[in-house]
Amino acid sequence: MGLSPDAARPVSGTRAANLLTRELPDSVARRSVAESEEITWVQRESLVQAATLLRDHPDAAYTMPVFVTAVDWPDREPEEPRYDVVYELRSLQHNDTCRLIVQVPDDDPRVPSLESVWAGMDWHERECYDLLGIVFEGHHDLRRILLPLDWEGHPLRKDYVSFGEPIAFTHNLEWALPEAERPRDLPGETR
Amino acid sequence: MGLNGTRVLRASSDAGTVALPRTGVWEREAARAGIITTTLENLVQWGRYSSLWPTQFGLACCAIEMMATASSRYDLSRFGAEVFRSSPRQADVMIVAGRVSQKMGPVLRQIYDQMPEPKWVISMGACASSGGMFNNYAIIQGVDKVVPVDVYLPGCPPRPEGLIDAVIKLQKKIAGERPASLRG
Amino acid sequence: MTTLPPLQQPPEHLDAHEERSGLDNVDIVQLDDSTMELNMGPQHPSTHGVLRLLLELDGEVVKVCRPDIGYLHTGFEKDYERHNYQQCIPYTDRMDYLSPPFNNLGFALAAERLLGIEVPPRAQALRVILCELTRVASHLLWYGTTALDLGATTPFLYAWRDRERILDINELISGVRMHTSFIRVGGMVADVPDEFYSLVADVVETFPRRIDEHELLLTKNPIFRERTIGLGVISAEDAMAYGASGPVLRGSGVPYDLRKAKPYSGYEQYEFDVPIGGNGDIYDRYLVRMQEMRESLQIVKQALDTLPGGPVNTSDRRVAMPPRNEINTSMESLIHHFKLVTEGFRPPPGQVYQAVESPRGELGFYLVSDGSNRPYRCKVRAPSFSNLSSLPHMVKGELIADVVAVIGSIDIILGDVDR
Repeated sequence: MGLSPDAARPVSGTRAANLLTRELPDSVARRSVAESEEITWVQRESLVQAATLLRDHPDAAYTMPVFVTAVDWPDREPEEPRYDVVYELRSLQHNDTCRLIVQVPDDDPRVPSLESVWAGMDWHERECYDLLGIVFEGHHDLRRILLPLDWEGHPLRKDYVSFGEPIAFTHNLEWALPEAERPRDLPGETR
Repeated sequence: MGLNGTRVLRASSDAGTVALPRTGVWEREAARAGIITTTLENLVQWGRYSSLWPTQFGLACCAIEMMATASSRYDLSRFGAEVFRSSPRQADVMIVAGRVSQKMGPVLRQIYDQMPEPKWVISMGACASSGGMFNNYAIIQGVDKVVPVDVYLPGCPPRPEGLIDAVIKLQKKIAGERPASLRG
Repeated sequence: MTTLPPLQQPPEHLDAHEERSGLDNVDIVQLDDSTMELNMGPQHPSTHGVLRLLLELDGEVVKVCRPDIGYLHTGFEKDYERHNYQQCIPYTDRMDYLSPPFNNLGFALAAERLLGIEVPPRAQALRVILCELTRVASHLLWYGTTALDLGATTPFLYAWRDRERILDINELISGVRMHTSFIRVGGMVADVPDEFYSLVADVVETFPRRIDEHELLLTKNPIFRERTIGLGVISAEDAMAYGASGPVLRGSGVPYDLRKAKPYSGYEQYEFDVPIGGNGDIYDRYLVRMQEMRESLQIVKQALDTLPGGPVNTSDRRVAMPPRNEINTSMESLIHHFKLVTEGFRPPPGQVYQAVESPRGELGFYLVSDGSNRPYRCKVRAPSFSNLSSLPHMVKGELIADVVAVIGSIDIILGDVDR
């Protein structure tokens, strides 16, 4: 229907990318722009420093954590690390949202915790650990938050098979439904 | 099949082979017990089903429809469910309204155990009856894996009229039961 | 008669917390002997869902509050990876189940951004009408249940009576009272019937007076004011640091509303104000929500008056079904229709974050596509999750009765918190 909306939309996140490239050039692995969003790929070791800079520098003032999550790309190994840990931050003052991505490999899924920088990262990091198994070092209490504490496995990983129970159709009754529950002709009246 | 397809399975037990008149267990017992006890039993059951107090067990979206059933337009207290008791120790029926996750399963069982006899369970909604649209690791596929259910109420969420129909069906079921204390 | 032994320390085995409740999946850390732990369990009338709070009490004053969530974890994000985009829409309904169109809208907008399509203006206006009416319904429900928690039973019945009128509108357009799934990727399910306009105009006309009646019950009520003014205070900096959004953030004085800051779906055409509070207490959040209801009705009125004609679905063939007459004559259209229904469309690989302003705050969808017909990863940024993480900060030092009031004022939905 005419002009694509992205052409008219300003690119968000450039402010953070520029600041990091200027002040902490070693922390930026690369930058990319897509769908009017600029993503800054940050090195794991300088994450806390970069986050503190983004929060405190008056040009950036990213004071609100939006979310922390991770995306699991198991087919990328061994060329690229398996997990993309995604941080989204918002600056209310400058009305801007930026995204930082830290890549961590499968055999070492550890990231420094940003709980000391924004208090809201506490629960988001616990959820990321719970569902994906990313370990946030320095978190005061990294426990499971959504699943029972004795749950095994991390459900949002691609190798975790999520399955409730088989759905019984007429053609697979033998293995889908236990003997006692299969429909049969009952004597008398059933309603 | 009633409104929204609520259904209660009832199979009459039947000895069958000998040429006896076709009566069920309860009719035979009632004939033995006599008229006064039968009336007393009916009275007790009438009292039980006419004031079914649910316990507050609203979990998810069905809880909102349960609250809508209890509020101004579809008034559930017309049918005896005057108050939703917060403590299960004071309740008769548990309307499991919503999806039961793996973490909530033991809690559900604990609340059910805390209810005194006689107690009944209405499984409201698709998620409580069978796991609903969530056929995954996190949801218990039907609360009848945890507690015994008397009435299943399908819908996502079921309309308030559906919940009222389920309560009425439960009342009919209770009218047909015999109180344990008066049986021989 | 034996003499009693002198008072001594309780025996060893009673000091350690061997005696645990059936819900012993959380380690209770004892700070010192003078505090009591109270479990405000998952089944509780005032927790607005299955929220468990572990409160360390010194008498009646809360020292530490530890929320234990996850009792409604449904695994939505895993389910999104197993269904194609249009099949995900009914799942999104059930997350924030008090305001389903916002979930639909967020997901649809994210998918539309990935695809690079824009919906026609009629669909945008209808989306705005549906969403703002749902905002009114959600705030009415919040108002009723919060008042009920504080002991006022009349507002509950009044608010729900009015909410039923909005559910009637839902039922008219989609057949379902609550989870309408009416907003799909590419537009709406169908156009609205003719009675829609009169019903919505009726709501717009009569509701402001109804809201005044509701305010009459509570706003100047001395009991309500005693229980809410000065309690549950959170400062603007703390609210931002916790990631709080929506009325929780605006009640603390931060004028941030996504409908104004990052407009979507045509919100920039409508004139409305964003109410903010001064002190960050419960009373301010209540006033913010009541005023937001009025502003929403203003938006609906403007949208209804300027509702354009035209189609309600995009004509982009990657998403939209071919028209019926074409299917009957052209083989390619038939196959295209078949592919769209069975497989769904395939956005190009990429990632996008789209947020909408739901009644609870910023509801965002981070959608990652790998070029297939299913989302590769759909992370839902739930407003209630972040708002609830500020609860321990808000109730520290308050009385236990105030915990109930504070939880009510944050307006959490456990479906959002736990997903």
